[in-house]
Amino acid sequence: MTDTTDHEAKLDLVEIAAYRYREGRLTRRGFISAMAALGVLPALGSKALAGANELVVVNWGGRPTEVLQEVLGDTYTAATGVKVIVDGSGPSGGKIRAMVESGAVVWDLCDSGMGTAIILEQQGITQPIDYNIVDRNKVIEGTAYSNGVGNYVYSYVLATNSKMLGGNVPKTWADVWNTKDFPGMRTFRKSVRGMLESAVMAQGVPTKDVYEVLGTQDGINGAIDMFRKLRENIIVWGSGSDSQNLFLQEEVAMGNIWHTRAFLLKDQIEGGTFDISFDGGVIAPGVWVVPKNNPAGTEEVMKFIAHGQDPALQVKWLELIGSGPINPAAAALVPPELAAWNPSSPENLATQILYNDEWYAKNQQAAEELYIDALIN
Amino acid sequence: MPRFSDKFRYWALVLPALAIMIVFYIWPLLGIWVISLNEPVVGLGNYAKMADSNAVKTSFVITFRVAFVTTIGCLILGYIVAYAISNFAGRVKPLMIALVLLPFWVSVLIRSFSWIVLLGRSGIVNDALRGAGIIDSPLRLMHNEFGVVLAMIHVMLPFAVLPMMANMRGISSSYVDAARGLGASEWTAFRKVYFPQTMPGVMSGALLVFVLSLGFYVTPALLGGGRVLMISEYITYQIQEFLNWGLGSALSVTLLVATALVIAVAARFVNLRSALLERG
Amino acid sequence: MAQSTFRIFFSTGAWLVLAFLLLPILVVIPVSLTDTSYIGLPKEGLSLQHYAAYFQSPGWMAATWTSIWIGLVVAALATAFGTAFAIGCWFLSDRASTVARWILITPILVPPVVQSLGFYRFWVTLGLIDTNFGVILAHTLLALPYVSISVFAALANLDRRIPQAARSLGASVWQTVRAVVVPAAIPGMITGAIFAFIVSFDEIVGVLFITVRNVTTLPKKIWEGIQEDIDPTIASVATMLVVLTLIVTAIRILRK
Repeated sequence: MTDTTDHEAKLDLVEIAAYRYREGRLTRRGFISAMAALGVLPALGSKALAGANELVVVNWGGRPTEVLQEVLGDTYTAATGVKVIVDGSGPSGGKIRAMVESGAVVWDLCDSGMGTAIILEQQGITQPIDYNIVDRNKVIEGTAYSNGVGNYVYSYVLATNSKMLGGNVPKTWADVWNTKDFPGMRTFRKSVRGMLESAVMAQGVPTKDVYEVLGTQDGINGAIDMFRKLRENIIVWGSGSDSQNLFLQEEVAMGNIWHTRAFLLKDQIEGGTFDISFDGGVIAPGVWVVPKNNPAGTEEVMKFIAHGQDPALQVKWLELIGSGPINPAAAALVPPELAAWNPSSPENLATQILYNDEWYAKNQQAAEELYIDALIN
Repeated sequence: MPRFSDKFRYWALVLPALAIMIVFYIWPLLGIWVISLNEPVVGLGNYAKMADSNAVKTSFVITFRVAFVTTIGCLILGYIVAYAISNFAGRVKPLMIALVLLPFWVSVLIRSFSWIVLLGRSGIVNDALRGAGIIDSPLRLMHNEFGVVLAMIHVMLPFAVLPMMANMRGISSSYVDAARGLGASEWTAFRKVYFPQTMPGVMSGALLVFVLSLGFYVTPALLGGGRVLMISEYITYQIQEFLNWGLGSALSVTLLVATALVIAVAARFVNLRSALLERG
Repeated sequence: MAQSTFRIFFSTGAWLVLAFLLLPILVVIPVSLTDTSYIGLPKEGLSLQHYAAYFQSPGWMAATWTSIWIGLVVAALATAFGTAFAIGCWFLSDRASTVARWILITPILVPPVVQSLGFYRFWVTLGLIDTNFGVILAHTLLALPYVSISVFAALANLDRRIPQAARSLGASVWQTVRAVVVPAAIPGMITGAIFAFIVSFDEIVGVLFITVRNVTTLPKKIWEGIQEDIDPTIASVATMLVVLTLIVTAIRILRK
């Protein structure tokens, strides 16, 4: 099995937070608490060693040390007195495994993805989540694994700019494939992740059956062919900011992009003409994993995870940078004007499909080849 | 002092540069061959996968097509410039040469950025055309092969002009004068007498532009919109997106071999020494 | 003499092509002066805000200085190694030295992405990833061909009998090199050093592969800017570099 965790999506969240901070919409304090909530408590350098009463949390973003210190003060440390050091050096599955196998474990908690979490569990690299401390009811159904638990969510959504469409806005993926009634350029990701699903839905397949259809080679080929048909109208995005630029520069009128980027675009595109629809979206969680023999001990880490499940903290984080609360209870606390932008609100959850990591582990490599071929050939 | 000792001293001058080039450049380059055969499993698996992949084939076709069109474009435009500079320029010659060289000094990144600004959907060209009422809806000038080739010709043009100019400098006007004296028109004298003499320069220019275009990364990556996927971009895509070092390395080796083949074939038409080793 | 269509075709054509070379580069100038916060021509007036943004940004400043000092170090190293190399080869002028010269110019021919892959893997084993030294070493290798070619070209004008005479008068190899050969090589060394600086200053693909966060050069910053937040700050940086180039070029024309 290959590592299918979408590291770029994680990096992108960090970027968005930093962007907001620069833009002045996030106060320093807000920025820090957002970073804390994201689990992106920044880096002390990769060699940070946890001493007694310390917790080393590792994820994907590189932010200055002082921000990290603030983050600790603001959240966990204030509550418990336990020092938290966050290292942004990127806990890829390979690195976690190497660390555990070498016996020199310095990480307590890693921000990973479903695919990696499953692989690491199979390889015996990670510890079981203690659901006596961590509340399995405080995460979206399907994201509480034996050795990993969701920490936030992001979605692949249909984004549109009505200004470029003369007010005639596509509502479904089928509309996106209808170039006659909805002319203009579309943007899709330079990877099949979160994209093939929309091509399947555009063929009229109900949301719940999407991965069933993709389970057969015919189903995959059918989805790929959809892109082949549409390719003259496609510009691909490589990074989250790429997708944002394509909308900002009015290169594209619609597309399938991360909702976290869309969250920024809604304020950037004048006249409120930019909108998204979670209908037919693909929702994916980030996942906490705990390496075996972590220095701070199991209990401390579990407490930290539980601390991060606080709905108020999660709503704060949605407000600031658009990341979706993993805790469904957070939806009730979301300000009304943001409810439509919350990927994990009950209404939005109902119309989305959960990103299927098992499918990606099995089929992604082959599908990527076909996908590129369809786009360029 | 014996000759042997002199030679030893000359080699002492040569060796430091040669040694770091071999250890830190040639050796890692050979390492790519090893990776292509070892990751993820030992064998020719990566090459088999590559040969099977339609996407790889298409990408190679795109690469060669873009390189070819760029080369032709550079030769035609470059020839006109080289000819005018060599034969008609007069007092403005230094200015013309400076204009040819100028883009050389401005980084490829900045020039690509300029093209993005010019060719975008809401870019300067589209705005101007719309403002003038020539078009109603913006033209697609970027994120396609047209934009990539246009920007690549801009980058590569000096590489075509310089060898042609060097070649034309050595052509005596007496043959053309003789042909004109015998009643040939200016066009005929050019076509029958002058042009054939410039072939070595044309070939050198073609070789340089073609080889450099084959491996080009920056401009296609920035202006191609993912649709003009040249091999260099494909390689980074495999490595960055999938950490697929094996396939990325196999593609690199193939690109390297393709480049070497082009140079080997060109060796029949071009004096490689003067085209590459001794170019000023 | 009346202008023939032949002449008109080539002269007009040449100027059109030269305009094609020059004008797109100049486009960054008006864009850099825009009063808007996005890429485009000025709307209501000219503004220097994007220059201010550049000079006030620690990130851009740091990247600029990094590129300048790395470029200078690379120019010095490549010129030292490359000049010694070219002089040695010039004395030897045998088959083996020609092979050595071919080896030294390989970086010109190898696709940037391919060589960067090689750098990356080797630099990982050496622990040079994301270090200034790693970038300097890579750039020095890429600059060596240009130095050796230009120094060798300069030596082509040196009469072989002069160093021979020096030697027969009892000068050692080193004395001969210092007193006779190096002076002749100086024009080539200067050209080579300028080339080496430019190669390093403009290099992007290698830097993208072998640096992560600690080392950010100007091209990397521009690259990230184009890929991430396209804003007119890039145009202001580009304008300054273009204007600098124009000034240097103009001075060179006028001095001729």
